[in-house]
Amino acid sequence: MGEPTHAVHVHHAPKGFIRKYIFSTDHKVIGIQYYFLALFSVVLGMLLSVLFRLHLAWPNANWDLLGKLFPTGMAGGLMTPEFYLSLVTMHGTLMVFFVLTTAPQSGFGNYFLPIQIGADDMAFPVLNMLSFWITFVALVVMVMALFATGGAPLSGWTAYPPLSALGKISGPGEGLGQTLWVISLAIFCVGSLLGALNFITTTLNLRAKGMTLLRMPLTVWAWFTTSILALLAFPVLLAGGILLVLDRVGGTSFFIPAGLVVNEQLVNHSGGSPLLWQHLFWFFGHPEVYIAILPGMGVASQLLSTFSRKPVFGYKAMFSAMLAIGFLGFFVWGHHMFISGMSPYSAVAFSLLTLAIGVPSAIKTFNWLGTLWQGKIQFTSAMLFAIGFVSLFVTGGVSGIFLGQTSLDLYLHDTYFVVGHFHMIMGVAALFGIFGATYYWFPKMFGRMLNEPLGKIHFWFTFIGVNAIFFPMHIMGVAGHPRRYSDASNFNYLSSMHPLHEFITVAAIVTATAQLFFLLNFFWSLWKGKKAEMNPWNATTLEWTVPSPPPHDNFGGKLPVVYHGAYEYSVPGAKQDFIMQDSPEKIIEAT
Amino acid sequence: MSDAEVRVEALGAGDWGGGSLPYAVGSKKFGMWLFIISDALTFSALLIAYGYVRLANKNWPEPFEFYPSLVTATVMTLCLLSSSLTMVMAVAARKREDRPATMKWLWATIAGGLAFLVLHANEWLKLIGEGMRPFSNPWGSPLFGASFFTLTGLHMFHVVTGVCFLGVVAVATGRGKFTSEDVEMSGLYWHFVDLVWMFIFPLVYVLSIHHG
Amino acid sequence: MSHPAGAEHAEPASKLFIWVWIWLLLLTAVEVVLGYEQYPVKLMLTMLMSLSVIKAALIMAYFMHLRFEKLKLVLTLVPALVVILCLFSIFFFPDSLRLMNLGWGR
Repeated sequence: MGEPTHAVHVHHAPKGFIRKYIFSTDHKVIGIQYYFLALFSVVLGMLLSVLFRLHLAWPNANWDLLGKLFPTGMAGGLMTPEFYLSLVTMHGTLMVFFVLTTAPQSGFGNYFLPIQIGADDMAFPVLNMLSFWITFVALVVMVMALFATGGAPLSGWTAYPPLSALGKISGPGEGLGQTLWVISLAIFCVGSLLGALNFITTTLNLRAKGMTLLRMPLTVWAWFTTSILALLAFPVLLAGGILLVLDRVGGTSFFIPAGLVVNEQLVNHSGGSPLLWQHLFWFFGHPEVYIAILPGMGVASQLLSTFSRKPVFGYKAMFSAMLAIGFLGFFVWGHHMFISGMSPYSAVAFSLLTLAIGVPSAIKTFNWLGTLWQGKIQFTSAMLFAIGFVSLFVTGGVSGIFLGQTSLDLYLHDTYFVVGHFHMIMGVAALFGIFGATYYWFPKMFGRMLNEPLGKIHFWFTFIGVNAIFFPMHIMGVAGHPRRYSDASNFNYLSSMHPLHEFITVAAIVTATAQLFFLLNFFWSLWKGKKAEMNPWNATTLEWTVPSPPPHDNFGGKLPVVYHGAYEYSVPGAKQDFIMQDSPEKIIEAT
Repeated sequence: MSDAEVRVEALGAGDWGGGSLPYAVGSKKFGMWLFIISDALTFSALLIAYGYVRLANKNWPEPFEFYPSLVTATVMTLCLLSSSLTMVMAVAARKREDRPATMKWLWATIAGGLAFLVLHANEWLKLIGEGMRPFSNPWGSPLFGASFFTLTGLHMFHVVTGVCFLGVVAVATGRGKFTSEDVEMSGLYWHFVDLVWMFIFPLVYVLSIHHG
Repeated sequence: MSHPAGAEHAEPASKLFIWVWIWLLLLTAVEVVLGYEQYPVKLMLTMLMSLSVIKAALIMAYFMHLRFEKLKLVLTLVPALVVILCLFSIFFFPDSLRLMNLGWGR
């Protein structure tokens, strides 16, 4: 090729099981470790949600078997309100932090970011390993909180003080469990911000020759933007976490106001403000929403382009929109606090800025549709999930426009409308991104193909299922059904909505069961799946230029040189309907 | 690392074109800068929280006397600033490949850090002796002690980490290990710890002097 | 060799760093004098914070070498911090002031 060859030296894979699979510094192994951590958490989180859905649909039924499993929380087969709240809390925490933050970013990002930019590993491999193990410790502490004496934490994944700050006095579940919860989160913050700085440095410094910023795949742009958000948002949660731990353990009163009476006891604290926690938490919490969804946007762009055999429509607009969403994401945390007693002047500003995010989001949506337009669409399982992602993103995004307006939010904030909204957009949309990525990259990661028919069955059950679960919640919310109630059957005005609860629960059980198709497919294919070729999807990015799975140092000691953009599909005059990024092929008609 | 050399060689190819370091700064140094930005936000959030609760409480005490509190704090500032200067000298010496001088300056930096820690620990003990706790104090709002211990405690933790870090760097330098970038990176961290104190000193000490 | 920036810029002399150190000490001395004299709180806060920002800028520019790096490194790192600090100040303090006016802190 006439290019100066890059340093030819092969990194040899470490010997021994422990160095190779447990304390590995190989970004690919670490990516898979993150993926399995998320897989464990998502199964646990999903089981918890099925449990509390059962209670919501049939609050007075007797579950003898469950009573034996949880002798305190479900004594005599009846769920206590506290147990219900701890289930909801742990479901939210596990899903948001240990699934939506780890799988798409740390899992797939770790595995594919270095390969897609043509690097042999992350910039700091040892730090990368540390990030994973710190996250792992955080998960262990979180699971410990679930089994803590005095009950699992129950103040929600947002842990609002004063209840979360007071300790035992505020009731069961607010003792040791809540303390462990805060500590776990603080540990998680450290792991995440170390991971983020690694990602940013890798993206900026380790790109292969010719991999200009404008040739980076949109997945890389997404992971990069997400890392910036994580780097700037997690330290603020860490600060909040430190203060909350001190309130609980050190007797300080940062978040506890004076004259508070809890459970008929006057609390011996003064001077703090619960609003301060909400500011600190949501300053992190809103960027966190984008940390969950942005990698999914990157994956959707990649998949829609590959399986439509067309370049991404408006590449520059796509990554600019992603950066704009990330940037604006820091200015809108207050829209979670419209009913908190925050200054109403701030609320106006937050409301306007929130609506402004609709613009880059719409740009992305229309560009996805533009990518599909007149494409030669291949409906693979991965593609179905990418299209599903776009659909759920629109459904969840439109209800966000409702909630971004203070006047509407005042009414809707504490109803099921919000539950439906955020599950659609940051829950299942992000999850569809993860599923799409799994179907797409599984062959590269494990060297075997997933079963396509099973994948399609999985898609249709899941897609219809999540809509059946979360769409009715919007209706219930508008009708005024409050969220966070463990049992609505005592309220006359809600009784007409009870059939919806039962419908949602049945849908949830069916959807949860349908995930067995995925797990079965995953583990069966791991051993018995069809062997994957190097480039089964005829895709263009660099991970498809190396064997499946890639060798220890990705490119066999010879870093690639990049000549093309990431999405050169169906280029007129080209030999095939795609041009690999590292192909020296010249195009007659410049794009 | 020979591929690091390759990357540096390719610098002429356009800063963002791949195969080069866009900021002409190595990964370790850049990574440390990112960490510093992140850590600075943790401290910023804590300082803002301090301002928030202080503003909200009308009974916020101002119990420190000019002597000895502020004088001690000034000496502590002097220790940190001087250790930053010696750190700069260490980095410069390492760039000249003068390992013995690097070690000398590094140990001087560590001495500055240790002096700061001793003075600070002494001050904590004195305040605890006067009855100041994270949950109460004899002078007014209980959040005074809470925020004092949180802010200075987290800063002290950073100083301790920094001293250990510099100790490792000094020993490794003596053994002929660690590159000039490693020393520079540890220096960045140390200056950052110094920088944070430049905000804690006025906000926590100077603004808590007893009117009189 | 592993430090490309050094090749482009001559290493500044030790004398420069000693001057920076002296300036930092002088600014600290001004802060101490302010603490001794005691001015109204708002004035104190403004002056002290201005001094601190200058000191922080000196440390970052000279001790942390930012003055001798490429401008785009500064533009990558510093604005994020500044923007977020402004956001904190704009949106946190109105709520805190309101608490003060409510007199919750007794």
